Amino acid sequence: MTTESQTFTEKYDLLGCIQCGRCTGGCPVTVRADLNVRQFVNDAYDEEKLDELARLAEIWDCTACHTCAVRCPKGLKPLEVLIGLRSMIVESGKVEPTVRDALQSVLLEGNPWEKPRAARQDWMEGLDVRIAEPGEHVENLFFVCCTNCYDPRVQVTAKNMVKILNKAGVDYAFLPEDESCCGSEVFTIGEEGLFEMTVEDNTEFLNEFNADRIVTLSPHCFTTYRTHFPDLKHPVIHYTQLVDELIQEGKLAWKGELPKKIVYHDPCYLGKQGGIFDEPRRILKSIPGVELLEFDRKRERSLCCEGGGGKMWVESESRQERLAETRIKNAKELEADIVAAACPFCILTLEDAMKGLGYEEEMRVAEIMELLGEFVEA
Amino acid sequence: MGDVLVLAEHRQGALRDISFEMMAIAPKVAEAMGGEVKVLLLGSGMEEMAKKMSGYGVKVIVADDPLFENFNAEKYQKALSALLDDMKPAVFMTGQTAQGVDFMPALAVEKKLPYVAEAIDLNYEDGTLKAIRNMYSGKVNATVAFKQADTYLVTIREGAVEAPEPAAAGDVEKIDSPLKEDVPYRKFVEYIEAEVGDVDITQSEILVAVGRGLKEDKNLPPIEELAQSIKADIAGSRAATDAGWLPHDRQVGTSGKTVKPKLYLALGISGAFQHLAGMKGAKTIVAVNKDPEAPIFTVADYAIVDDMFKVVPALTEKLKELKG
Amino acid sequence: MKTFVCIKYVPDTSEAEVKVNPDGKTVDDSRFSFDINDADNYAVEESVLIKEDKGGEVDVLSIGPKQSEVMIRMAMAKGCDKATRVEDDRIADHDPLIVAKVLAGAIKDQEFDLVLTGCWADDDGHMATGVALAEYLGVNHASMVKKVEVLDGKVRAHRELEGGLMEVLELELPAVLTIQTGINEPRYAPIKGIRQAQKKELNVVNLDDLSIDPAEVSADASQVVLENLYIPEVESAAEFIEGETDEKAEKLASILVKGGLV
Repeated sequence: MTTESQTFTEKYDLLGCIQCGRCTGGCPVTVRADLNVRQFVNDAYDEEKLDELARLAEIWDCTACHTCAVRCPKGLKPLEVLIGLRSMIVESGKVEPTVRDALQSVLLEGNPWEKPRAARQDWMEGLDVRIAEPGEHVENLFFVCCTNCYDPRVQVTAKNMVKILNKAGVDYAFLPEDESCCGSEVFTIGEEGLFEMTVEDNTEFLNEFNADRIVTLSPHCFTTYRTHFPDLKHPVIHYTQLVDELIQEGKLAWKGELPKKIVYHDPCYLGKQGGIFDEPRRILKSIPGVELLEFDRKRERSLCCEGGGGKMWVESESRQERLAETRIKNAKELEADIVAAACPFCILTLEDAMKGLGYEEEMRVAEIMELLGEFVEA
Repeated sequence: MGDVLVLAEHRQGALRDISFEMMAIAPKVAEAMGGEVKVLLLGSGMEEMAKKMSGYGVKVIVADDPLFENFNAEKYQKALSALLDDMKPAVFMTGQTAQGVDFMPALAVEKKLPYVAEAIDLNYEDGTLKAIRNMYSGKVNATVAFKQADTYLVTIREGAVEAPEPAAAGDVEKIDSPLKEDVPYRKFVEYIEAEVGDVDITQSEILVAVGRGLKEDKNLPPIEELAQSIKADIAGSRAATDAGWLPHDRQVGTSGKTVKPKLYLALGISGAFQHLAGMKGAKTIVAVNKDPEAPIFTVADYAIVDDMFKVVPALTEKLKELKG
Repeated sequence: MKTFVCIKYVPDTSEAEVKVNPDGKTVDDSRFSFDINDADNYAVEESVLIKEDKGGEVDVLSIGPKQSEVMIRMAMAKGCDKATRVEDDRIADHDPLIVAKVLAGAIKDQEFDLVLTGCWADDDGHMATGVALAEYLGVNHASMVKKVEVLDGKVRAHRELEGGLMEVLELELPAVLTIQTGINEPRYAPIKGIRQAQKKELNVVNLDDLSIDPAEVSADASQVVLENLYIPEVESAAEFIEGETDEKAEKLASILVKGGLV
């Protein structure tokens, strides 16, 4: 109820839809779930049907990859209709307990992982990290991301970043402990009130700092800040853009070779939503010995790993092959040694899939920062 | 007179373990206070149970009354109120159990007597009775002293101490039931047995147990695979059953089952005392938890401080290799 | 139906390191995360379910600091109607019987059918406050309740006993029920709902406002003294298996197989 008088139809511009079906046609989830977003846009026009639609399980299958929005010839965002339906469930309080706990955790602890705020910077232990002071000028202000802070599998992204920044003499600082969730998943889960609060609080917090730009380690934070934070005074980039710069400027020294075939998986929040496709590729190609492979579904057509859209907290009812498994199988067909990505959710879901398929002996899933950590002098 | 009056607990015809456990605490307190231990039994048809308790060398006092056939907190409070006035023990003790918590606080308020709940130890020193309690997820102990009073009320945590072996023979005295009539406000209707599932974990030889650390039921498959590889049954702490990841009959703990398998693998279980009480008796306990301070490690024989999601698949693989 | 639900603001110490302050009587809570006591959260949900079924009103009562108001607003967002927060540092809150006396003082002059509260608190775990409260109010009670059916002038309650056995009883109203975790699935309180709940009445009172004589609920009035807190020595006879994850798994597998345990 951002503006009390808006109907569902007005809010999501349902009348703008010409029912062409390009959205559903491109939706990666349709191969494994009953989700037909075009149908939802059509049905949601009938206000009386909204309650019934909101109770359907498939509205939680959407990963918010935004393929539908990218493809819509009318510039609409069909996925937002699904998010709107999710909002109705959120307002009723009857969301899945896992979703409830994640949202409550964002409110109370500033992260969706039910971890204490006091432990947010535990990953920094043993590292020499410069912490930002409000008002003090810094070129690059780093926003780590809740998942990178708390999940041991991806803390390496942040740790390696610090080591490389120190070695390359970059002017940087990391946000202090008050760093709180960007709200990416809060938005896609449909908790409008909490997301509004997140935007307000984070804008106020981030604007206290004096930086040339904010650098995010996660594409979700990257896209969320650029899309939903109109009053944020800093420009926001993703770390791959910074590292790409460092490589162009010759600031990174390689200490070894990585004679492997690496296939790069474009994260939806970095690629199709952020337009960042080339920087990660340049980084990988610059590692000595690397042979860079490409998926058929690459760049804007990248196959979503199903990590976003709240999927970390909601299991799909469909028992069909997960998209991440399909992706890993594609990688195997390409005979790739490493599947690389630049997003914590992609890493977690792809690695999960790889282990589920039993490919650990032959293949590895790695965050670009993991590889840099192994091959850059730092 | 420093008598310690212990209300023994029974249900469906059998004495519960807490009754024997209290025999590890009551005697030393009675001795220090210059009195003796008396065990009180309220029930119907108590001969066998009275005899069993008297094997602890204590005086057993039985109020046998059909009105006491099933536990009813209103009846117990009324009866005990009268008996405390009559017997005036220095200490009145019972278990911190579903039964004990249902009347002890009310009794303490009614009689205006000091009350400490869930003591893990009790001592009388220099004229003051002191209890030790355990709090904050089991991480902190508290010493609580009773202010001077004619009778001290206390409940004892289940499984906090080991029951001693019965030694001498005491005697049994029957008293008139302190209840003259039925109570007006609370009526016992029936017991409903716990659902019996396909597996009775109290009979399992090997148990693999999960707790909060599981995070969600979609994480069960690697656990199931491990369990299958060693022919184990799966159990869980309260966190796992409250969340619906496992059916209630798989719950290990004070509000669930007490198990005594030859091997108990606790995965991602912190070891809250309610859980420990249900599995301490396992012959060999292996615990995996990310938190090195987790109380589960106090009862474990083998400990691994690590992420259970990393350890479990590796363990399953190694076990398969070794067993061939 | 008029229901009171009593809730407590407690720290989550399950994963936190707990340190005792130099005074030896308090813990250092500066880094703790606080939220509603788990069992009380289930009590709130149960009260709201009863209200949704039978109509009526649910009032929240809590003894706690200003920071606890977010917890109270969340309860109101879920469907409770109004709230009273009691704050007074004269209350000897180490003693559950004293806490119960204060709660009774806040409730006793009002008509009610039910008082629900969690059966135990995550921090000090006495399992005494609710039952003592019933005695102070002079009403009936049942503890560790896992199911509630409101009937005419009475409730049928299922108490959860050890081993999963349920004791079914009937109790005349008014009554206090202490609620066991797992009785229901607590709903989520959305921010918009919490914002709207800001409009609901939340009275902040102290002992004087409640006409409770401080002498009745102070440390002097308590019959127990908290002498000290200390970290117990962890006697661990556990053999800690060391190494990288794979090494540890291998060592353990070896111990289990060679020891004939599997």
